[in-house]
Amino acid sequence: MKGSAAAPPLLEVDRVSVRFGALIAVNRVSLSVARGEIVAIIGPNGAGKTTLLNAVSGFYRPYEGTIAFEGQDRTRLAPPDVAALGIARTFQNVALFKGMSVLDNIMTGRLLKMRGSFLLEALYWGPARRQELEHRAFVERIIDFLEIQAIRKTPAGRLPYGLQKRVELARALAAEPKLLLLDEPMAGMNVEEKEDMCRFILDVNQEFDTTIALIEHDMGVVMDVSDRVVVLDYGRKIADGPPAAVRKDAAVLDAYLGVAHDA
Amino acid sequence: MIYREAGQFKSSYAGDQAIFPVVQDRVFVAAAVAAAVVVPPLLASEYWLQAVLIPFLVYALAALGLNLLTGYAGQLSLGTGGFMAVGAYSAFKLATAFPRLNIIVVFLLAGVAAAAVGILFGLPSLRIKGFYLAVATLAAQFFLIWLFNKVAWFTNYASSGTITAPDRTLFGALITGPNSTPSARYLTALGLVAVFALAAKNLVRGRIGRSWMAIRDRDIAAEIIGVRPLRTKLLAFAISSYYCGVAGAGLVFLYLGSAETLAFDIGISFLVLFMVIIGGLGSILGSFLGAAFIVLVPIVLSNAPHAIGLRMPVALQKQFELMVFGGLIILFLIVEPRGLARLWQIAKEKLRLWPFPH
Amino acid sequence: MLDALHAVLVAPFRDMAGSPAFLVEVLIGGLFAGLMYSLVALGFVLIFKASGVFNFAQGVMVLFAALTLVGLLERGAPVLLALGLTTAVMVALAFAIERLVLRPLVNQEHIILFMATIGLNFFLEGFGEMLWGANVKKLDIGIPDRSFIVRGVQINELELTAAVTAAVLVAVLALFFQRTRIGRALRAVADDHEAALSLGIPLKTIWVVVWSVAGVVAIVAGLMWGAKSGVQFSLSLIALKALPVLILGGFESVAGAIVGGLIIGIGEKLGEVYWGPLVGGAIENWFAYVLALAFLLVRPQGLFGERIIERV
Repeated sequence: MKGSAAAPPLLEVDRVSVRFGALIAVNRVSLSVARGEIVAIIGPNGAGKTTLLNAVSGFYRPYEGTIAFEGQDRTRLAPPDVAALGIARTFQNVALFKGMSVLDNIMTGRLLKMRGSFLLEALYWGPARRQELEHRAFVERIIDFLEIQAIRKTPAGRLPYGLQKRVELARALAAEPKLLLLDEPMAGMNVEEKEDMCRFILDVNQEFDTTIALIEHDMGVVMDVSDRVVVLDYGRKIADGPPAAVRKDAAVLDAYLGVAHDA
Repeated sequence: MIYREAGQFKSSYAGDQAIFPVVQDRVFVAAAVAAAVVVPPLLASEYWLQAVLIPFLVYALAALGLNLLTGYAGQLSLGTGGFMAVGAYSAFKLATAFPRLNIIVVFLLAGVAAAAVGILFGLPSLRIKGFYLAVATLAAQFFLIWLFNKVAWFTNYASSGTITAPDRTLFGALITGPNSTPSARYLTALGLVAVFALAAKNLVRGRIGRSWMAIRDRDIAAEIIGVRPLRTKLLAFAISSYYCGVAGAGLVFLYLGSAETLAFDIGISFLVLFMVIIGGLGSILGSFLGAAFIVLVPIVLSNAPHAIGLRMPVALQKQFELMVFGGLIILFLIVEPRGLARLWQIAKEKLRLWPFPH
Repeated sequence: MLDALHAVLVAPFRDMAGSPAFLVEVLIGGLFAGLMYSLVALGFVLIFKASGVFNFAQGVMVLFAALTLVGLLERGAPVLLALGLTTAVMVALAFAIERLVLRPLVNQEHIILFMATIGLNFFLEGFGEMLWGANVKKLDIGIPDRSFIVRGVQINELELTAAVTAAVLVAVLALFFQRTRIGRALRAVADDHEAALSLGIPLKTIWVVVWSVAGVVAIVAGLMWGAKSGVQFSLSLIALKALPVLILGGFESVAGAIVGGLIIGIGEKLGEVYWGPLVGGAIENWFAYVLALAFLLVRPQGLFGERIIERV
């Protein structure tokens, strides 16, 4: 059962603009994501997709408009505060911690759930030790889920690109987010890896009950996984609806193909 | 016993999370620590204790501190000497103002003072990164040395401007001051360093270490999983300076006996940085290997010409030492930029596969 | 409390107004020191721009150049010949550094290259003194160290000559970067290594050229400072004073290095003369850093830097 109409949407972006000097990267875009949904954000290069995601994550301050999460205004939060609300994300160009093992990378996803004082941790004693082991157990479940047991101890920087993307997803999942933002989760992958990733995204949505907003270029993938598609072009929203409807939308065809159409 | 981890299966995460998961490693480290406690006081000459082993331990502690900051948290600092000076002068003030205070407590409190100063000079790290920050830490170096030079209160108005470690005892044995034996000072330093190294290892493999490394490797991604950059960096500055502060106290109380600000000038900041780089950034073991290397190289260099029957004028020898030292550093960086700890790791991997290299 | 505020905020300015000629002399002294910092910072910026190397050895290169020059002059070489030979030595040094240090370390992390230049720093210090001796030497290039007085302000002929020389050098460098093919390639390489390679100039050549140019800048700096205060080890310490200049001006801005150097030089002298006595003097060592840091709080991107928008 997808999010009901009565409850407020999980994420509500309301007429948000982001500017860099004279350039308006995102222009009064509104968009809402309901609980349990998978929403795809698509658009040509430079349409403002990543910028919009960055505004939601707190990296950029919107020039105007508001962003609300679970019904509360969250427009002016810094990234760590956004993370504390339960929003996790991955990056277009994989932002793993290259010097750390895969296990440690995923463990960082648990940081917000961990408490303690540095004195206890320096002694690795009592609560500090217990906490470490509890979170390790949780992380191992994610490792099993994403089928990356074999690379647990490998430094993240040495992994092939496809696996790095998977580890980055694992790190985001470790935070048990309410909303997961994925920036081109399948960029640069081969067909097989894409199929795996599609499966993981659908599984995450169902098994962990995680709401997902993703940016993707591969239209096949978008049509397969998403409940709803939002299309941006030159910083403006030009379409918003179920995949089948958006596929036929005249403005979308225009933006993508750049030719006049007469149907 | 052959070095193998095959067959040593971990049945719990606790077992897998241990510091030394391989049995042979545990045995080796235990043996090394036992040997460090027993052998040198019995066998080493006063020269070895005083000129090699004690400075090695003191520098290793400082290198540990800098490695936490630079190797783990990724914040390059050239202010180590300044933070060590804070520790040394605080220890001196505390020890002379409260003669009955236990000397170990004095060391630990001196570390607290250094940590506070470290936090203060870590504040620019919010705004500036990398080499800009490194240059900014030089402000700490120069300002602190100037302060200790100018304000006579820090030296208890000694006309010579030197601070001298007073005689203090621990468990009835004299461990600091002019009348203490090198063995007693060595064992004190060893105890301090062992405890601090273990604490550092625990820190870096847990929550705090991971948040440091996250900031180091990719600060943007770290923020998005909830790491607060300023708080995390300041904690790194605080703990790192704490270690450096205790090392500074050790430098005066356990090694030199008395010192002026000159002992903490920019040269020592670079020396400790060398130790960390040559030993291995982001490696606890590396801090020790680097300290050993830097302590031993000048000794070898100054004795080498004699050993092969060369007699050099003192000035020439000094210049020669500088050249060889500089050359060695470059050579070392070319051969293994990830440091001695990495070489050790490679050796261990070879050993693990021996005698079947493929 | 009020007295302290008065001593910090009012009295120094009253002193300045009270004796304008002295103030001008202080300013000129600061300008000269600042020029030195500018020159060291300039050599540094050139190398950082073209190769991303934080060259800690720039100060020792100044010392090394000055030692070589003095050594040659002492052995009876005419000034021009000595200058030519010293230039040749610095170019040879650039070749050696590229071949022995930079090339084996290409693609290493920046901190590794930085450490290598500290190694280089030690090596050159030992090497220079081994070749030419460690005594303080007077560098005499035929410009008299005497002063004349204009409207009550003392002006030193040597300092004036040095300032003009430095200005000419900067102008020549600016022309070099704007007008020559290799100069343009150097500017391109700062932005994008690939782009420079597509101009058909190998990275190797660029590195040698940029280290040679930094070497020549070091000669000029060594010449000026050496003529003023003699050639000695402390010459390499001015490199440390050039570092706050870099915070202020930015690691990649030639204009920043020059203006930053002048600001630091003047600020430092004013601070030392008018505020230094309040805290017991000798604040020159750290005042520049504090000045640069305070400036950064107001303008984090430095003097000429553009606000960086971080790409996520």
